[in-house]
Amino acid sequence: MEKEKKVGTDKKTLKKRLKRYIPIYFMALPGLLYLFINNYMPLPGLVLAFKKFNAKKGIFGSDFIGFKNFKYLFATKDAFVITRNTILYNLAFIVVNTVLAVFVAIMLAEMTSKIKKTYQCLILMPFMISMVIVSYLVFGFLSSDNGFINNTLLRALGKEPIKWYMEKKYWPFILVFVNAWKVTGYNCIIYLSTILGIDRGIYESASIDGCSKWRQITKITIPLLKPTIIMMTLLAIGRIFYSDFGLFYQVPQNQGALFAVTNTIDTYVYRGLLELGNMSMSSAAGLYQSIIGFILILSANLAVKKIEPESALF
Amino acid sequence: MKKFLATLLASAMVVATLSGCGQAKDEPKEVSSTTETAVSETAETESGDVTPAQQAILDRKAEAEKNGSYEKVIISFFDWTGAPAGIERINQKLSEYTEEKLGVDVELLIIDSAAYSDDIKLMLSSGEQVDLFSTCGPGYMTCVNNGYTADLEEDDLLGTYAPGLKDVVRSDYFDACRVGGTLYGVPPIKDYAIQTAAICIGTEYLEGANVDLSRFTKDSLGYYKCSWDDVDEMFAKMHEAFPDKTVYSTQDNMLTQGSCVDNIGGDYYGTLLDPANSLKVENVYESEVFKTWCDRFYRWNQAGYISGDAMTDKNGASARIKSGSYMAMMACGKPAYENQISGECGRPMTVFDVGEPFMSSSAVSSFPWCINQNCEDKVAAIQVLEALYTDPVVANFVCWGEEGVEYVVNADTTINWGPGVDSNTSEYYPNVLWMMPNQYAAHVWEGDPIDVGEQTAIFNDTCPVKSKALGFTWDNSEYAAEYTALQNAYEEFSGKVIYGFVDPETGLKELNDALKAAGLDEYMAAKQAALDAWAKEAGIN
Repeated sequence: MEKEKKVGTDKKTLKKRLKRYIPIYFMALPGLLYLFINNYMPLPGLVLAFKKFNAKKGIFGSDFIGFKNFKYLFATKDAFVITRNTILYNLAFIVVNTVLAVFVAIMLAEMTSKIKKTYQCLILMPFMISMVIVSYLVFGFLSSDNGFINNTLLRALGKEPIKWYMEKKYWPFILVFVNAWKVTGYNCIIYLSTILGIDRGIYESASIDGCSKWRQITKITIPLLKPTIIMMTLLAIGRIFYSDFGLFYQVPQNQGALFAVTNTIDTYVYRGLLELGNMSMSSAAGLYQSIIGFILILSANLAVKKIEPESALF
Repeated sequence: MKKFLATLLASAMVVATLSGCGQAKDEPKEVSSTTETAVSETAETESGDVTPAQQAILDRKAEAEKNGSYEKVIISFFDWTGAPAGIERINQKLSEYTEEKLGVDVELLIIDSAAYSDDIKLMLSSGEQVDLFSTCGPGYMTCVNNGYTADLEEDDLLGTYAPGLKDVVRSDYFDACRVGGTLYGVPPIKDYAIQTAAICIGTEYLEGANVDLSRFTKDSLGYYKCSWDDVDEMFAKMHEAFPDKTVYSTQDNMLTQGSCVDNIGGDYYGTLLDPANSLKVENVYESEVFKTWCDRFYRWNQAGYISGDAMTDKNGASARIKSGSYMAMMACGKPAYENQISGECGRPMTVFDVGEPFMSSSAVSSFPWCINQNCEDKVAAIQVLEALYTDPVVANFVCWGEEGVEYVVNADTTINWGPGVDSNTSEYYPNVLWMMPNQYAAHVWEGDPIDVGEQTAIFNDTCPVKSKALGFTWDNSEYAAEYTALQNAYEEFSGKVIYGFVDPETGLKELNDALKAAGLDEYMAAKQAALDAWAKEAGIN
C-alpha cells in the first residue's frame, strides 16, 4: 500500500515536473540539436579509420583494410617520442597552468582597487592573440640575427649569443612558459567567478574570529575551489592526448632540429599527411586520440570518486 | 540525376535528328517549336556531318533555351592573393563568350595559394560543385589515390569531345600522366625541362661589386655560363662590397632545382642518380651530388653568406631579395626566365647558368588539370578544358583578364598593362602562367620573345638529359607509415646540414641514420620493385 502510493506520487511528480520544466527543455533544444548534429551525427564516419578512402566509392563504400591506418602511429621509432612529448607537456601544462590560474584568480579577487578590471583585461589579452602572432613575438625575442635576447640582453651581460632554434634543452621551458603566459588569463576566469560566488559571510566571520588573510585563503578559498579545480583538471586529462597545434608547430617555427622536444602527435600527423592528404590515416589518429582520452577521463574520474566522491564529475 | 540525364538524352535525340537536316546549327532558337515536325521529317535521314562534340554544344544550348539559364562549369586553381577583385566581371565576360561558343557558363573559382590545397580537397570530397581543377597544390598522385579524379578516356570522352587536345598536347606527354594505364589529367603546356642551378643575382649588386661580366659567354637561353668557382668569387666580392646585406637567400631546392637527380615517384626517398642511363633506385642523401651541395653551403655559411635565421625564415627566396636585404638565390632557368625572376624579386636580376638541362620523370605529370569524378556533365567539362588549351579568347581571359581593362594589345600582339593599371591595382592578375593549361595560347607579355611558346617546345625537345623513367608514377599509400616517418626524419635532420650550420660529415651521418631508422631501405625497395614492373611493361631497360 505504502509502496503503491509512493509510485503514484512519483508518477504525479514526474508529470508535474515535466510540465513545469518543458519550457526549459525547449530552451535547451537548440543546444541539444547542435550537440547532436555536431558531435553525434559524424560518429559513423569513424569507420573511415579502418578503410582505404576513395572518393569514387564514398565513405561507406570504400574497402576495409583493418588496422593498417594505425600502423604509422605505432610502428615507427617516432611513436614513443611523440606520445611522450604529448603526455609530458600536457601534464606540465595542467600543473603549471592550474597553479598559476588559481594564484592569479585569488590575487584578483583580493584586489579592491579600481584598476582591477584593467588588470583582468590585460591578463586576458594574450589569450586573444593568434598563435601565429605569438610565434613571431617569440621569434622577436629569440631570433639569432635580430632577436632581443641575443642582441640586447645577452650582449649587455657580456654573454655569448645562443642559437635558440637549434638548442633542444631550452624548449621545454620556453613552451611551458609561452603556454602559461597565453592561457592563464583565460583559465583564471572560471576560478575567479567561483571565488566571487563564495559566501562573503564566511570570510566576515573568519576575520571577526581574528583569521589572517593568508589563513582565509588557505582555509576557505582553496578548499572551496577544490571541486572546480578537480573538474577542470579532469577535463584537461580528457584532452591529454591532444596538443595545441599552434603552440608546437608555429612557436618553434616548425624547426626540425627541435623535433625531439617539440614533436607531438598532432604535429607528427600534420607533417606526415600534409603531402599525402590521406583522410583515413588522419581519422585513425583522431580516433586513437579520442579513445585514449575517453579511457583516461573515465579512470581519472573513477580515482576521484574513490578518494572524494562528491567531487567526481559523474 | 537520372531525371537530368533523361532530359539531356531526350533533348540530345531531338537535336540530333534536327541537325541532320541542317536547321539547328544556325537557328537553335527554333528547336522547341519545330521539334515535332523535325522528328517526323528526319525519321529516315541519318545524323549527318555534325560531330558528337558539336552535338553536345547544341544540346546544351537547347537545354539552356528551355531552362532560361546555361549550365555552369566551375574551374578552380590558385593565385597568390585570393579571388581577384574583378573576378565577377571576368566570369561574366568569359561566360558571354562561352555561352555562344560552348553552350555553358564558366566560373573561375580562384583560391589563395595558402588555402587551395585544403579547400580543393574539401570540395572534392564533400561533393561541392567543382568541375575542372588544377592539381597544383594537393598534388596529382594524392588526387588520384583518393579517387577525386575522373578517367578522361572513359567511353572515349577525350577523343570524342575534345579532339583538339590531342593536337596541342603530345601523346607521350599524355602517357606521362597515366597512372596504372588510366589517364586522369592533362598536363599544362609549359617548360618541362629545367636548366638546373640558375644563380640569380641582383644586377645592381653585381655592378656595386664591380663584377666583370664580359668574360662570361652566354648559353643557348641567353644566360651567362659560369662555374661554381666563378660564383664563389662573385659572392666574395659582393660580400665585401655590401657587408650589411646577406649574400645568399636560401631555400630547400638544392635537389629539385639544383641537380639532375630524379625524385622518382614524387619524393627523394629513393632516387635515380643517373636518370638518363640507369633505373637503379639509390639513396641521394649518401650520394656525391648531395655531399657536394652540403659542402658548398657549409663553406658559404662559414664565409658569412647565409643568414643565421635561414632555418627559421619561411619567406620565399625571391620575396627576401625583394625586401632588399638579400642579394642572390638559386632557381632553375628556362626561356624568358630573366623577366619572370626580375618581376618576382622586384629588381633587375642577372641569371647565371651553372648547371645543365634536365627533365625529370615527374616533370610532365607534376600538376595536370583534372576533372572531378563527381562532375555532373563531364562532356561539358572536357569541352571547356579543350577551349582552355586551344581557344585564344578563353586562354586570354583566364591568363590576363579583360582586354582594354587589365591589358592592352600592342601592334606586335604582345600586351602590356591597361590604362592606369599595374600589378598592384589590376583587378585580375593571377600571375600563375606556368600553371595555366596553355599559356602560349594567350598573348605574350611585352619584353618576352613573341615565340616563347616555340622556344619552350624546343627547349623541352632538345633537353639532353631526359629521365628514362619519364611517366613513371607510384602509389605509395601502402607505405604511408614509412613515408610519414621519413618525412619527419628529414625535417628533423635536414635543415642544419642543407643550410650549412653543421659540418657535412656529422650532419649527413645523422640524417642518413635517421632516415634508415625510419625505414628508408624498405621504402626504396618498394619503389624499385614498382619501377622494375613499370619498366618491364613499358619495354624500357
